[in-house]
Amino acid sequence: MMGRRFRSRRGAAALALATGLLLGTQASAAGVGQKAPEFTAPALDGAKSVSLGAHRGKVVYLDFWASWCPPCLTSLPQLEELRKQFPSDQFQILAVNVDQDPEKARKFLERTKVGYPSATDPKGRIPETFGIETMPTSFLIDRRGVIRYVHHGFRKGDVAPLRERIQKLVATRDK
Amino acid sequence: MLRLAVSLLLALPLLAASGCAAVKPWERDVLARPDMAWEPDTLEAKRNSHIRYSKEASLPGGGAGGGGCGCN
Repeated sequence: MMGRRFRSRRGAAALALATGLLLGTQASAAGVGQKAPEFTAPALDGAKSVSLGAHRGKVVYLDFWASWCPPCLTSLPQLEELRKQFPSDQFQILAVNVDQDPEKARKFLERTKVGYPSATDPKGRIPETFGIETMPTSFLIDRRGVIRYVHHGFRKGDVAPLRERIQKLVATRDK
Repeated sequence: MLRLAVSLLLALPLLAASGCAAVKPWERDVLARPDMAWEPDTLEAKRNSHIRYSKEASLPGGGAGGGGCGCN
């Protein structure tokens, strides 16, 4: 009797340990309806730092990209076009580059110029905080800093529905 | 004593398993390099796959995608 109880306790402990180990590897993702985690990171061009909080009051499109990710490279020129379609005091695009070698990203931006700031995060601390699951991933954040939409991947046809979402958020005046 | 040894023996692989870390999406920098692809030449891989399919009358096992970035 004692032996059976001992075995079942040990079994339960082993099961709990295994579950704990598995759960320990899962990151919690920032999702729709949640406050976007704040961050400040050095700018890729070395000018200043890039901070999400500095753009509170505007609709922000936060894009995680890397020079080794083909869909990311497709998205950059299209996001630049999107940026020009909205007033800069209402809408802001922020990018976080996750290249382990930021020089690769700088070289890409020399060829493909964009007018929005890109932070550099080679250690991947910011994507870790946001719990991103694919590259690229983008977050549409409202004026109060709440995530309204999460966009995974990027294809050419994605811009039109994105523009509509941004338009709706820009039209919402509550701060 | 024996029970303790057995328990430790069972716990050790579990602890070792916790050391296996998944590559996060933003960490695929090196994996996405063309020289890290299973098949460096995509066209050649597709052609070989097609020949295998025709000759063996079976579905090819391997894919012929790009690098390991998981994003395309």
